[in-house]
Amino acid sequence: MHSYIRPNSHIALRLPSGIVKIHKIVPNTTINIGKFGTFPANLLLGRPYYLTFELLDKENGRSKTELRIVPASELHAEALGGDHATPAESRDDSASAEGGAEFDIVGDDGEVIMRSNRLTIDDPSRQTLAMEEIEELKKAGAGSGKEIIAKIMASHLGIDEKTSFSLAKYTLRKSKKYLKRFTVLPLDVGLLNEYVLDKEGYKIMDLREESLGLISSWANIHCADASRVLTADDDIGQIGGGRWLVIDDTGGLVVAALAEKMRILYPEEDEEDQTLQEGEDINQDQNGEGDSAEDAKELQQETYQNGTTPPKSDPETKETDPTSPTSTTRIPSNPPPPPCKPPRQHIPQSTAQTNSLTVLHANNQPNLSFLKYFGFDTGNPTTKHPLYHNLKSLSWLQLLYPHEDPSYDEPEVVADDVLATFKSSKRGNYYKKRRRWERTSRIVNETRRGGFDGLIVASAMEPASILKECVPLVKGGGRIVVYSPNVEPLVELCDYYSKDRRAAFVSKQMETNASINRKAVKEVKKEDNEANGIVGEDEDEDFPVNPTLLLAPSLQTARARQWQVLPSRTHPMMTSRGGAEGYLFTATRVLPFEGKVEARGKFRSKKRKTGADSSVQA
Amino acid sequence: MATSPSPFLDPGTHSAPNSLGILQLRRDHLIPTVLSSSTDSDYVEGKVENTRFGSFPHSTLIGQPWGTQILASVVDTGSRGSKSKKRKRGDTEGDSPSTPGTHETKRDIAKAAIASSGFVHLVPPTPETWTLCLPHRTQVVYTPDYSYILQRLRVRPGDHIIEAGAGSGSFTHAAVRAVFNGYLGEDGMFDSPKNSDRDGTNHILKKKRSRCGRVYSYEFHAPRAKQLRAEIEEHGLSSLVRVINRDVYEDGFCLDSEAGIDSAPDADVIFLDLPAPWLALKHLTRSRPSTAVVKSITTYSNPSTPSAEGSESSPQALPTEKLFRSPLNPNNAVRICTFSPCIEQVTKTVSALRSLGWLEIGMAEILSKRLEVRRERIGLQEEGLRGANASAATVSEAVQRLRDVEGRAKVFHGLQKEKQEEIMRRAETQKRGEKIEPFKEENKGKGKLYKEGRLVHRTEPELKTHTSYLVFAILPRQWTKEDEEKARKKWG
Repeated sequence: MHSYIRPNSHIALRLPSGIVKIHKIVPNTTINIGKFGTFPANLLLGRPYYLTFELLDKENGRSKTELRIVPASELHAEALGGDHATPAESRDDSASAEGGAEFDIVGDDGEVIMRSNRLTIDDPSRQTLAMEEIEELKKAGAGSGKEIIAKIMASHLGIDEKTSFSLAKYTLRKSKKYLKRFTVLPLDVGLLNEYVLDKEGYKIMDLREESLGLISSWANIHCADASRVLTADDDIGQIGGGRWLVIDDTGGLVVAALAEKMRILYPEEDEEDQTLQEGEDINQDQNGEGDSAEDAKELQQETYQNGTTPPKSDPETKETDPTSPTSTTRIPSNPPPPPCKPPRQHIPQSTAQTNSLTVLHANNQPNLSFLKYFGFDTGNPTTKHPLYHNLKSLSWLQLLYPHEDPSYDEPEVVADDVLATFKSSKRGNYYKKRRRWERTSRIVNETRRGGFDGLIVASAMEPASILKECVPLVKGGGRIVVYSPNVEPLVELCDYYSKDRRAAFVSKQMETNASINRKAVKEVKKEDNEANGIVGEDEDEDFPVNPTLLLAPSLQTARARQWQVLPSRTHPMMTSRGGAEGYLFTATRVLPFEGKVEARGKFRSKKRKTGADSSVQA
Repeated sequence: MATSPSPFLDPGTHSAPNSLGILQLRRDHLIPTVLSSSTDSDYVEGKVENTRFGSFPHSTLIGQPWGTQILASVVDTGSRGSKSKKRKRGDTEGDSPSTPGTHETKRDIAKAAIASSGFVHLVPPTPETWTLCLPHRTQVVYTPDYSYILQRLRVRPGDHIIEAGAGSGSFTHAAVRAVFNGYLGEDGMFDSPKNSDRDGTNHILKKKRSRCGRVYSYEFHAPRAKQLRAEIEEHGLSSLVRVINRDVYEDGFCLDSEAGIDSAPDADVIFLDLPAPWLALKHLTRSRPSTAVVKSITTYSNPSTPSAEGSESSPQALPTEKLFRSPLNPNNAVRICTFSPCIEQVTKTVSALRSLGWLEIGMAEILSKRLEVRRERIGLQEEGLRGANASAATVSEAVQRLRDVEGRAKVFHGLQKEKQEEIMRRAETQKRGEKIEPFKEENKGKGKLYKEGRLVHRTEPELKTHTSYLVFAILPRQWTKEDEEKARKKWG
């Protein structure tokens, strides 16, 4: 999906200084990379990612600005040194176009004598070029910046006294400053993470790439398109099916990372585009086959959606004026999806039964603003985007007290003939409300039934308060993952699930259970789970969560230490980012004795200690 | 191939026979077992899993919702041989409830009686649990490492990944999960053999729409490869993983087409866990690398070989007789990670990567640690309690005790000699009382040891300070003059 640069996608340009700039690349516009100048976006479109380009201004005898692809051999020239022959044919053909001031610091160090810094003089006056002169050179806009560097180097009095290592460092520093180069990178989750972390880490809770990796692994995130739809014993609630519950206060970064691994982050059309272009160098009939398979899949998707659309909303699809500002759910997508044209179908949102993310949010609307870089706007989602179907969101109020939320109450049904008398805007409003209710009630009911594959929390809220409500919604064997930038909240959480507390909780539960009417507890599992959540309520202070619901709670952290690898100069980076360390709480949801009432009643017991009591009950 | 989904990817709601389940005894103590309902066992109860927390007949494990707490059963582990008669009787009676002969244990449905103590949790397999309990054949790539690798390599569903040095299969399982997007053949995705070698170097394999994520796992050691293959089969992943027993230094990564399976890995992602990754790199190029480069890579790295391949013909490893076939996906930037414990390996690998035109080269190591959380109780009242520190909690507590002792001494000296012994006895008992009383009080009154003391965390006693160095790099798509011309025409 990131095989070449597509129009209207977000790309990242990395300058020699390491600064990353994010641009949306629109055809026939120009891209500005600060002091290095501007160039037409069309020079990048259709080109592959990860290439480094050199900006060639038009002044230098060229009619227009051009980009030269810097070949790998040139990029690595310094590091490779004279160690061995540079591969001639891996050098890009366009390389020779420029020629001229090829800059190579290792060109003249034929002598292998290692210089020492004994004679080094620390004096800025050794650089004879004054700042003004350098400015002058820059203004002259000479070439790619290599000339400037060459001149600067030539004017350094002590350049011959430098050790080869310090010379390399000097060159590198100058290159960072003057080379008019940039590398085009695809804006994927990893890069976005790096970018935001550098600028505004607090927005993403200082979440580093290694934490994202750990979260995804421990949450057992994977693409579950092919998963079965299985129901619980009560035949209503769904169990598993690749559905994860997410609480995300990182502006959608966590959701994006999860979605990427579930194959629902990048728009489908992206890939179609690719085949179109690549059809040229691709086996033709294979291509056709792929397309038809895709069509079939799409068709299937469509029929499935129609099937689940409640009949009530059907008349609307024919009647609503396409131009009326009716709904937020039906979005004029750009480009408009061709098959939707004639009947102007409403595609209900968040209908995926498998492979979905359910986001719980504290405000009215979820804050998933980072998803915009991946072509998805939660306020105005396009139906083409997989997240349109596979992302569900509901607020805490809707989850816990759905009836207090107005959008959960069914709006009254208006008869068709009455409806026909409505003004189009009123009618539109009516349908908008109906649709919102349909979506909300569907998501709320389905979420409250639980059976999720896992719970992923990256929230500033008190973890225990979240886990109290959400852990019962996770299926047995499901994974719980809580990220926190600081260790303290998670230490506290671990303590709530400590062995001692669990033992105390169990013995307390035995006492209360003895007095409670057993019948009340004997219900279907889902309700039992809810009961489990409530059991602690009177003892909130001591047992903010039910400690028996999680197995093997553990706390971990990871940090990647970056290294510099250069010939004879390999060492860890001298500096790196401090700040929040980032910790992860992981555990497995289990079904303790109380949570499970088997009709056959095979296994009833708890821990070793209480085993005797339980077998009496059984 | 795999009709029933793998328990790793879609475990279902309940444990099922002939499918892998994991018994979790403790956090890091897990036992993998393929659940079996067959009665072909020495035990009366059928197949039994014996653990330190008791015995668990498979009949008690099958058909349970995942995550269930399973109680140990009373299983006679001592006299299997002599009980063969009993077993036969059990067999003939099938599943009839309550075998009459065994008065101590037999229950109606459970077949095996619940033991008075011991339990495990039955959890579905995941790459994480499997990593903790797989049979070790080699050093294992643990979760902190592989999670970072997969994250940084941007492994996504539908990718093809080459893994060389499959080892114990820990990374294999994590990789399958990352690339999985459906089973082969499900929606008619079928890789026919390549049809054109127009320019001989490129576009040998066509890229298909929504292709199936696959793992190509190379292992030099034949028995290990065989065992891994068996495990993969057992885990229902055989349609997603192809295990190849091969020396990749010599023979590269390209595969012959085989019964409709991809003829080449067509890889987007590469993970090399090899002693000398630079020797494998020459096979991971878009076009045939020049002999000079190959020679330089092999010579500086392996001083013993250069003489053998001095001539201008490329090393025998390259398929000179055939057209060059690239194992890489021509339409995607290829990401690579090598996993090496030693820094010398890293420098060689990185130089080789640079010579072969890889970009974005970076190296990192993962420092991960697990923390233990506990309550630290300090104070004089803790004396004699387990897991507590019985020194004075505060200065005033220390002073108070010193005063007490001093006062006691004064009293002691001020009293008559006859009474001394009695006083001493009293003091002794009082001291003892101090030890016990606070504890009792806690049990009655507060009784909440789990809330007492200060909550602290520290690194767990076993610390992995170094696993391996991770070298990352990216090889962009090949971009020729013609491609550039085309793009220029298209976009103006």
